[in-house]
Amino acid sequence: MKLSNALRKAAWLFFVFTLNVAAWAQAERSTDSTRSERGPYAIVVSMGGGVSYYAMTLGVPVELERGRTNRLGVPATIRVMWYPDHRLRLGLETGHVPMYRYRGQVNGLPSKVAVSSVPVLLVWSMPLAWLSGTERSLARRLSLAAGTGAYFISSRLDYVGTVNGKTTSLGWMVASSYTQPINRTLRAAVELKWYNSVATDDAAFAVQLQLVWRAFSW
Amino acid sequence: MKAVAYLMIGLCTLIFGCREEYEAPVPYQFVSPPGAGRFTTSIRQAMEGVYAVTNGADRFGSQVALKWTYTLEGADTTFYLSIFAGQDAAFFNLEGRPDSDSLVVAGFWRKLVNTETGLVRFSVRTRRNGQIRNFSGVSRPGDTLMLDGTYGDNSVQPNRRLTLLYERPLNSTPYEILAHRAGGRTSDLLPTSENSLDMIKLASRLGATGIEIDVRYTKDGVPILYHDNKLNLRLIQKNGLIGAVEEYTYQQLSSHVRLINGEKIPTLEEALETVIANTTLRFVWLDTKYIGPMDKVQAIQQKYRQRAILARRDLRIVIGLPSTEAVESYRALASKENTPILCELDTAVTRSLNARIWAPRWTLGPQTEEVKAMQAENRTVFVWTLDEPQFIQQYINEGQFDGILSNYSTLVAYYHYTRQP
Repeated sequence: MKLSNALRKAAWLFFVFTLNVAAWAQAERSTDSTRSERGPYAIVVSMGGGVSYYAMTLGVPVELERGRTNRLGVPATIRVMWYPDHRLRLGLETGHVPMYRYRGQVNGLPSKVAVSSVPVLLVWSMPLAWLSGTERSLARRLSLAAGTGAYFISSRLDYVGTVNGKTTSLGWMVASSYTQPINRTLRAAVELKWYNSVATDDAAFAVQLQLVWRAFSW
Repeated sequence: MKAVAYLMIGLCTLIFGCREEYEAPVPYQFVSPPGAGRFTTSIRQAMEGVYAVTNGADRFGSQVALKWTYTLEGADTTFYLSIFAGQDAAFFNLEGRPDSDSLVVAGFWRKLVNTETGLVRFSVRTRRNGQIRNFSGVSRPGDTLMLDGTYGDNSVQPNRRLTLLYERPLNSTPYEILAHRAGGRTSDLLPTSENSLDMIKLASRLGATGIEIDVRYTKDGVPILYHDNKLNLRLIQKNGLIGAVEEYTYQQLSSHVRLINGEKIPTLEEALETVIANTTLRFVWLDTKYIGPMDKVQAIQQKYRQRAILARRDLRIVIGLPSTEAVESYRALASKENTPILCELDTAVTRSLNARIWAPRWTLGPQTEEVKAMQAENRTVFVWTLDEPQFIQQYINEGQFDGILSNYSTLVAYYHYTRQP
C-alpha cells in the first residue's frame, strides 16, 4: 500500500528530525566532563497483550437492523527499544490492534464488518525520573511514550460475499507505563495506550500487560 | 523535570489539540412550491440581468448577475432565483415566497471560498424619479427594477440592507458553464455530496449549464459515480469499509455506503435519468475513472442520448478520455457510431480520434493558436478544471474557449453573465 508522495515526504522528514533529537541529546551528554566513557546501552524488547476499547464514534449503516456492535478487542504489541545512556529512548513498535466490529441484517441479509489495524510506529519513551531518586522510586518506574508512523488498516465485510479492504493512514500513539523489575533482565509492565489512526478516524484505548526483556546490553 | 514538562505539554497538544471541523449548513428551509407563483414568465424574464449592488457591496462586490432556473419533478416545475457575485465566489439561492402579497424572494447566500453563509430576503420593486414602489409585473419607461432587501449571517434574521439595482441584460453569448463532480466538491461544504443525484439537481442553481461526473465500475460491472479510487471519509460516511471501490459489488455499496451527506452512490443510469427527468442541463461529461472495457458506458450513453432525443431535450452526453488508457479503451470499442467523445490529451490525439471536443488542462495556458485551429475545424474547446478567479475572468474576457469546467460554477456564471461584449 503506497502512501501519497506528500505524506511519505512528511513522514521521512519527521523521521530524520527524530534522529536528530537523539543525536542532540547525546551531544549534550558528551560535554559531561565527569565521565570519560559512554554507556551502558541496551536493546530492550517488550511484548504485551491486553484489552482495547474503541473510543470513537462508530459508523454503522443506517439500514442495519438488529445490529450488534463490539468495541472491545484484544490487542497485541511488540516493541524494540534502544536504551541509550540518557533519558530519551527510541525504538519501533508494531502489533495488531482490533478497532471495532458490527453485525446485523441489511435488507434481510446477514451482514458483518470487522475493522482492525497494524500500526508501525517510531516510538520515543522516557522515564519520569532519570538520575534522581533510587532504583525503587516510583518516578523511575513510570515512563511516558509517544510514537508516530503508519497504520495499516484492514476491514472485512461479509455481506453477499466477502470483501477484504485495506488502506494506510498516518497515525500516532501515546502511552504511559509502570515497570516492575523481576530480575536483571526481565521486568513486567502495565501500559495504558491510546492508538489513533488519522485518515480513518479510528482510535482505541488499551490496557496491556507487558513482559520487558533486556535482550542486549553493552 | 523540564524535559518531562515539555513532553507533557507536547503530549497534551497532540491529544487535545483540536482539528477544526468546517461547516456551512444551509440556514434556510426551502418550501419549494411547484409552479412560479406570482413570478410569471414575463416577471422572471424582466428580473434576469446584471445589477449594481448599491447597499452591501462591501460584502458581495459591486455587481451581481440574476438568473432564474428550474427543476422538474414529474409534471411539477419548481423555479429558483440564483444570484452570482464575484466576491469570494458568493452566490444566492432563492425561491418566490407564496406567503406574501407582493413579489418576495427569500433564501440563503453562501461564499464558496469560506464558510460564510446566511439568510436573505428581497422585495422586487421599481424606482422611478426617486420614488420606489412594489413591482407589479408591468414596467413603464423610466422604471428601474430593484431588489430591495436584507441579509444576515448564519441563521440570524436578516437585518442588514442589501439593494440591487438593474443595469443591463445578461450576456447571452453561448457558453458552457460546466460544474465539476456533478455540481461541486464535497470539500466546498455544499449541502449535497459531490457525484450524487441531489447534486445533479442542484447544479443549475449553482450556475451550471452542464456537469462533469466521474464514472467507475463496481466489482460486478455496474457503472457508478465516484471520484476517488478508494472508499474514504472525504467522500463517505464512516462505516468501517475501506479499500478500492472496484472490490465491492453494487449491492454491497448500495446497502452499506452513504455519501457524506447521506445519499446513496448513484449508478450512471440513475444519474443520466436524473439529468433528463429533473434538470435543464444540456451537457454531461462522463469522466473515465476506470481502466478497462468501455462498452457498458457506451451502451448507457447511447441509451440516454436516445431518451434525450425522444424527450426533445438539447442534451449532449460525451465520454471524456483523460488518459492513454482511456483512449485505448475507446479504440477497442467494436463500433464508435453515435459515441461522442471529449479528448483531454493533445491536439494530435484529438484529431486522430476525430473527437469533436478538445479539453486541455487550464494550466497549459490560453494556447491561442491551437484553440483557434481546433475551432476552425469545427471542434469545441473546453478548459478544465479552472477555479482561480483571475484566470476565470481572463479566459472568459478573452473569449476563446467555448466553456470552462470548474468547481466554482457560480463564479464562472458571474464572469460570463456580466461580461460586456
